[in-house]
Amino acid sequence: MISLRDVRFTYGKGGFSLHIPELFVASGVRAAAIGPSGSGKTTLLNLISGIERPASGEVSTAGARVDQLSPSARRSFRITNIGFVFQQLLLVDYLDVLGNVLYPYRLHSDLRVDATVRSRARRLAEELGLGNLLGRLPSELSQGERQRVAIARALVTEPPVVLADEPTGNLDPAAKHKALDLLFEQCDARSTTLLMVTHDHHLLDRFSQVVDLDGWGSPEPMTP
Amino acid sequence: MKDSLYLAWRYLRHHEVKTLLLVLSLTVFLALPLVMRSMSRAMQQSFLARAEGTPLLLGQKGSSLDLVIEALYFQRKDVEPVKKADVDAIQSTGLGMAIPLRTGLRTQGFPLVGTSLAYFDLRKLRIEKGRGLALIGECILGSEVAEVLELGPGDALLTSPSTLFDLAGVYPLKLDVVGVLEPTQGPDDAAVFVDLKTAWVAEGLGHGHEDLARADADLVLRRQGDTVTANAKLVQYNEITESNRESFHFHGDAASYPVSAVIVVPHDEKSATLLRGRFVDAPTLQIVRPAQVVDSLNAQIFRFERVLQIVVWTVGLATAVMFVLVMALSWKLRAEELRTMTRLGSSRWKALQIMTSEVALMVGASALLAGLVGVLMARYGEPWVQTLILRSS
Repeated sequence: MISLRDVRFTYGKGGFSLHIPELFVASGVRAAAIGPSGSGKTTLLNLISGIERPASGEVSTAGARVDQLSPSARRSFRITNIGFVFQQLLLVDYLDVLGNVLYPYRLHSDLRVDATVRSRARRLAEELGLGNLLGRLPSELSQGERQRVAIARALVTEPPVVLADEPTGNLDPAAKHKALDLLFEQCDARSTTLLMVTHDHHLLDRFSQVVDLDGWGSPEPMTP
Repeated sequence: MKDSLYLAWRYLRHHEVKTLLLVLSLTVFLALPLVMRSMSRAMQQSFLARAEGTPLLLGQKGSSLDLVIEALYFQRKDVEPVKKADVDAIQSTGLGMAIPLRTGLRTQGFPLVGTSLAYFDLRKLRIEKGRGLALIGECILGSEVAEVLELGPGDALLTSPSTLFDLAGVYPLKLDVVGVLEPTQGPDDAAVFVDLKTAWVAEGLGHGHEDLARADADLVLRRQGDTVTANAKLVQYNEITESNRESFHFHGDAASYPVSAVIVVPHDEKSATLLRGRFVDAPTLQIVRPAQVVDSLNAQIFRFERVLQIVVWTVGLATAVMFVLVMALSWKLRAEELRTMTRLGSSRWKALQIMTSEVALMVGASALLAGLVGVLMARYGEPWVQTLILRSS
């Protein structure tokens, strides 16, 4: 579940500002966030995940008041509760497929790589068609394969929420649908809430909820 | 920490060329002072050990260091020779034993040393193959000479002419190899030993030829009393064999024949003092304690080592700056990776941990390699220094 109420956020002094009157995405729902460039789509994901803290308002993600958490608690919350799929994928070039899938486990003391985690990572990779590519480096994979690695990395910690920032932006239409199929399939199987930023309006009918951010963001600071 | 080390290790493995170069640079930085110190110590010890095994050294007045280097390491320093009479004079004092050394000639690139049998006892040189010197024209090879030239008892080798362009000069002498010495890890390994008389023959002071009494009349230019002058057709021997050994002879007074240096082994400390006293005011001779000469040389080496240390630290500083620069640039290039880490939920502390782990792994590997170099230097430094510096002339 994702819930934002009367959230205000400003980048620096006199920079971009965002006001979200109300946003609610129920558990297990696939939601798309749309809006023109500069409307605050990426900022929205940052607020939901706790990367950014709002100036005011309430941000609840997976049952936690993210806006009230300390920076350290927000990091801990993020790595255990949020799965990310980035537009540039941002895979680690020196780790193989399995290493990339397990990457979140290497970054925080709250997570530990053990036999169960390894087995889960392998199963996830198998389900995403990466079973025979586990030892390959990202540079040895196709764009579609890299996309699947990014999805596996987002899901490996079994987060209740997955945030995807235009993850299909660099794919051709067929690959886009295939990637979405896999992402939806995995999220549905785990009842994971998915919020995906996209520019592609042709994909919207595949989502059960669409959040239009048009008019929420402003290049100038807003007055309350 | 385990995960940070894992990520650091994977990164370093992936960028193996860069890692290898950095590790090697750091190894040089860490090993250089060790190597320099080991070499300096090995050099000093090597000098001192041989010098301490040589109680006194008699030679022509001049540089005592050149005298010691020529007599102990057979490196050609062109020291003025003393006379065979000086050897006899020392011997006749009854204060010690005189061991003559004639150096300066070379054979197949190795120094040819003319000496007496007492030299082998003094240096505790043992015959590994064959036998010791017995007759004029024979030679014994140091272990390295035998190995390099692939020679052994029963073989022969030629002395090198002093100059290739002097047709009237000294011709090479064919020497019979009768023995090979056990290795000593010292200059004796790289020398060819002959009897003092053989050395004189090799340098043209003694020679052998056809018996003029029985030679053809057309060979004789002039007869005047006991002196017979022959023309150039007279066969000169370039090899000392059983059949011509008797024909080898020396002209002039043997007492005036040259000896490069004389090792003097006094019977006791008192004899040593008396001997030194006798040569204090000698106009043309000097008697030195090689250990004292080497001590002063070691002091120079130590001073030079301190200068080198400054150079090493400067190189070290440059290496450290380069290392920091490479690491800083590397992390700048990895800014995206750091951002991804932060977005996923990692702290800056974690990034610092990974960075520190990378540095620690590289420094650790370099320290290990430098340590290995240090151990190798401690074990093999002295023979290496012997080969590299002391035996090269």
